Amino acid sequence: MTTPSAIEAARVESGKRPQLILFTTGDAPRSRRARANLAEALRRFGQDPEMTQEIDLVQDPAQTFAYGIFATPALLRISDGEGAEVLYGDLSEPQTLERFLMAD
Amino acid sequence: MTEPDQAITKRPTGITGLDWMTHGGLPAAGGTLVLGRPASGKTVLTLQIIAQALARDEAAVFVSFEESRAQVLRDAASFSWGQRLAEHPGFELIDARPSQGAQVSGEFDLGGLLAGIEHCVQRTRAEWLILDGIDQLLYRHRDPFVAIEQVHRVSDWSEERGLTLLLTGKLDQNALAPKHLEGVEFLLPSVMLLSTTLIESRLARRFRIAKYRGSAHTADEVPMLIDTDGVHFPYTEEDSSTIRVERASQERLSTGIDRLDEVLDGGLYRASTTLISGQPGTAKTTLCGSFAAAATARGERVLYLSFDEIQAPVIRNLASVGIELGAPIEAGLLRFVTREAWSSLLETHYHALVRGIEELEPACRIIDPISALFKAAGPDDAKIAIERLLSKTRASGITTVLTSLNSDDDPGSEETLSHASTLADTWLTLGFNVVGGERNRSLSVVKSRGTAHSNQVRELILADGGLDLADVYEYGTEVLMGTARLQKENEEALNQRLRALEDTQRRQDLERRIETAEAEAARLRIELQAQQEEQRARETLSEQQQRDVVRRRQAAAPMSEETPAQGVRERSEGNHR
Repeated sequence: MTTPSAIEAARVESGKRPQLILFTTGDAPRSRRARANLAEALRRFGQDPEMTQEIDLVQDPAQTFAYGIFATPALLRISDGEGAEVLYGDLSEPQTLERFLMAD
Repeated sequence: MTEPDQAITKRPTGITGLDWMTHGGLPAAGGTLVLGRPASGKTVLTLQIIAQALARDEAAVFVSFEESRAQVLRDAASFSWGQRLAEHPGFELIDARPSQGAQVSGEFDLGGLLAGIEHCVQRTRAEWLILDGIDQLLYRHRDPFVAIEQVHRVSDWSEERGLTLLLTGKLDQNALAPKHLEGVEFLLPSVMLLSTTLIESRLARRFRIAKYRGSAHTADEVPMLIDTDGVHFPYTEEDSSTIRVERASQERLSTGIDRLDEVLDGGLYRASTTLISGQPGTAKTTLCGSFAAAATARGERVLYLSFDEIQAPVIRNLASVGIELGAPIEAGLLRFVTREAWSSLLETHYHALVRGIEELEPACRIIDPISALFKAAGPDDAKIAIERLLSKTRASGITTVLTSLNSDDDPGSEETLSHASTLADTWLTLGFNVVGGERNRSLSVVKSRGTAHSNQVRELILADGGLDLADVYEYGTEVLMGTARLQKENEEALNQRLRALEDTQRRQDLERRIETAEAEAARLRIELQAQQEEQRARETLSEQQQRDVVRRRQAAAPMSEETPAQGVRERSEGNHR
């Protein structure tokens, strides 16, 4: 699968530090839950939730195609050397989210 | 585009058979689920619908969850309408394949997808939305109810925006819904099922409208073909294009054989169906060639479908008996098509024949032999396919000639493999008559509707100058043909000459006898005349003698009391007594 251009651009910028992008659809219930669950998990790991980028696809639908994200909410993790990984869902399964965040 | 006067507003798909089965098209607003096993033709069907929509300048968005954009366009390029998808500005193709290795934590929905689609729909003013393989995304839901809910959401979203929505998904054998989406078929107003099966190693596709809420539709399972022009539904396309002929024609068409035309009271009725049955070698193809030559000589187009015989040898063999088809072929009046019966499914042959008719618009059609359809693979009965074929051509006014090969198991029987004999207006049987070590061809008219015809078996003669029929020679209870007929004809001719000779001789004899009799009569008349003359001479002499006696007596005898005259009178009267 061809990597969306936005992911490629983000990977260049990220350097060695993983970049997290949370894709939401405004104030939809699942998006609210994803936002909250991610913030809680990041605090637990000692990471600043403000460092996570959020893209609201309702506000900016073109980003759907730029990043190739068609199911929401979705958490995109971009890191140099690992490529891009996606976690679909409202992040309500803590263990899955933790493994995703801790993966190098 | 839509059918506002119907209870449900529809949008035509542009695929003739599909629009016929759905009575006008798909729901204009709302979802249609298209389900099928791999290679059943789901994606091709939806792409073709889009291509037809683009041809009407109706924009469309195609979201692919299984193939990349390049793969979709490459697959479409193999069809005649594929380029339209690549070039039309009203077509938007979105690669929505889930990321490889993606994981799931909790619930997700299609909100982001719908936001992106909304963006495309507004830009293109699309009226069609295809979600191809959405089950590849939704099966990742832990909870199938949530997955089904997403389908419902997409359907409602489409309906609110007046989009005609098609969703495709894979089916397991005998299932009515994709795995993990059981029950989704109850949510959408329309569900179509595509299936595949192998028949004698050949892939056969079938299509069925499992559900169409609020609309009459064809619920039967029908064959579906895919060729370079895309999807076809042969047994339904015929019905949608049928032109009904209201009156039976009174026009007679020549068979190319004058004597046969006489037997058939002028020839074959236009738009009728004629079946020619017989064993191999009985000249069925030759008879067809004669009919084709006669038709093209009238300036009519002929479609000749030959199963298992290629053009060149057929044309050559016909030329050897004076039937020339090369020129009509070159002039475009005769189209000779060869198909191998065993190489395709029954519906494929049927579709090819229908396409040929539509392209050429022939006045006459020949299928040689139609019994070959029994060798084609297919779950359908060949007899039904033949009935459809004849029904279509009868309604469209095409004069049809079919041949049928008699069963090898029953070479002497007049029954054929095809029950077209019950459907045909005229049925000619060809056979062999073996007598005295000689094999001659025979032809008899089993039936000919609307025609007074003889049921006699006649000899069919193949000569350099063409075909001819010879009247039968009945000898006792036998019908003689070939050399035996010629011998008997010669004998009869000889007997006739002998009888004529006898009559001549007898007449001459009588004439001679009359001459003789007339000569005798003349002689007798001369003799009679002579006798009469002699009698008159004797009478004259006798009178003279009497007068001499009287004179002498008067001179010698004295006078008496009687006067001399009295004495002479008395003596004379005494002489006369």
